[in-house]
Amino acid sequence: MDGEAGDVMVTSANRKRSVVTGSARKMKDNAADWHNLMMRWNKLNEDGFNVAEKIVNIRLSQSDQQLLVGESSSSSSAAPAGGAAELEDECCKLQDVVNKMVAVVTKMECLMTSQRGIQDLEEFQFGPEGRKVPQFHTWNTKQFERTCGSLCDAFRSELRLKQTILEEVGHTVTSDLSVVLLSCWLHQPFNPPQTRRALEALLLETGHRPL
Amino acid sequence: MSKLALSSLHEALRKSFKSLGDNQRVWRSVLAECGPPMASLGNLAEQSRALANVQISNTPLRDFPDLADRLRFKLALATDAALGQLNDKMSSLQSVRDAVGNQVSAVLQLYEQNADGLDVAAVTERSAATPSVADMLEWLQDAERHYRRQYLRRKTLLQTLRADNLSLLESAPKRWKSLDCPSAEDCITDTLCKVSFLMESQ
Repeated sequence: MDGEAGDVMVTSANRKRSVVTGSARKMKDNAADWHNLMMRWNKLNEDGFNVAEKIVNIRLSQSDQQLLVGESSSSSSAAPAGGAAELEDECCKLQDVVNKMVAVVTKMECLMTSQRGIQDLEEFQFGPEGRKVPQFHTWNTKQFERTCGSLCDAFRSELRLKQTILEEVGHTVTSDLSVVLLSCWLHQPFNPPQTRRALEALLLETGHRPL
Repeated sequence: MSKLALSSLHEALRKSFKSLGDNQRVWRSVLAECGPPMASLGNLAEQSRALANVQISNTPLRDFPDLADRLRFKLALATDAALGQLNDKMSSLQSVRDAVGNQVSAVLQLYEQNADGLDVAAVTERSAATPSVADMLEWLQDAERHYRRQYLRRKTLLQTLRADNLSLLESAPKRWKSLDCPSAEDCITDTLCKVSFLMESQ
């Protein structure tokens, strides 16, 4: 999970320099992990899109060939072998990308669990009201949990969509649906602009980004 | 009198052609930068068209009830971003148009101020190295007109685009391309070649 982000990078080195301890330390590290995981997800999304695009192109050219074969000789049962191996190859690559995405989302869920743990600990320490003074600038622990929850939900839905696309993209022959599948992969409809803003807010609050 | 006027006119022409050359380079590079956002505009329109043609509830994506709306929103965002980029480029094109326009009108004004002192022979006289003042003024005006029309046509094209009119958006890249006018561009390059001796003689 080395941050491939060009902007502010949160490395373990500057984590250690900071003096934050306890729950705040954990929350700050979690925020950094969110950032890194989302960067990783974006990279995977890009890689996956290129593969999916190839799959669609192979599939569409195959179905064109099938049409031609069907027209010239009525024996359309002769399956065009050309591209089948390539198609399978690309599908495996896409499967690989989705597997990595599953790993990313699993890690995100761990972050969520850890955030809930912090919340529970705080309730134990300070009662149901929680702590009186915010850990960082303004957010209380519940707001952290809510933000993490919204991020988690977005990526969980997005992953489910990716898995559906993975299943369908190799079988889709109508060009409109293929375009919609690709478009869904690229534009990530379940990952609205608020997700990015929520992450930025999280980084600002925890002091990874200068105020 | 005539000689002095002629030499100050030559000086002004030199300046204008220098600026024309600089602006031509800027215009070309900005126009080239318009290519990618224009292409993605057409591409996004295609995706929106495909989305409109597909009944999501009849596809394997039916498990995602609000998918179509969400995707439409994302496509609209991306379309907006591409249009925003193009608008930024348009203001660069506009400043090229304005710069060329200002230069040319300044030279013409200078000519008009001195027109009485210049006889026809002086204005039309040319040598192997220096084109006549009349010719050069004409070339400058041609260049100015070219950029003015180009800018207007491109601006109009962008202003007629509507997010809800897919066919306009789909055809936009093609229509944008059809506005290219290589002959007029070549004309300007030719002009700059023709005045290169004048530019070098200081």
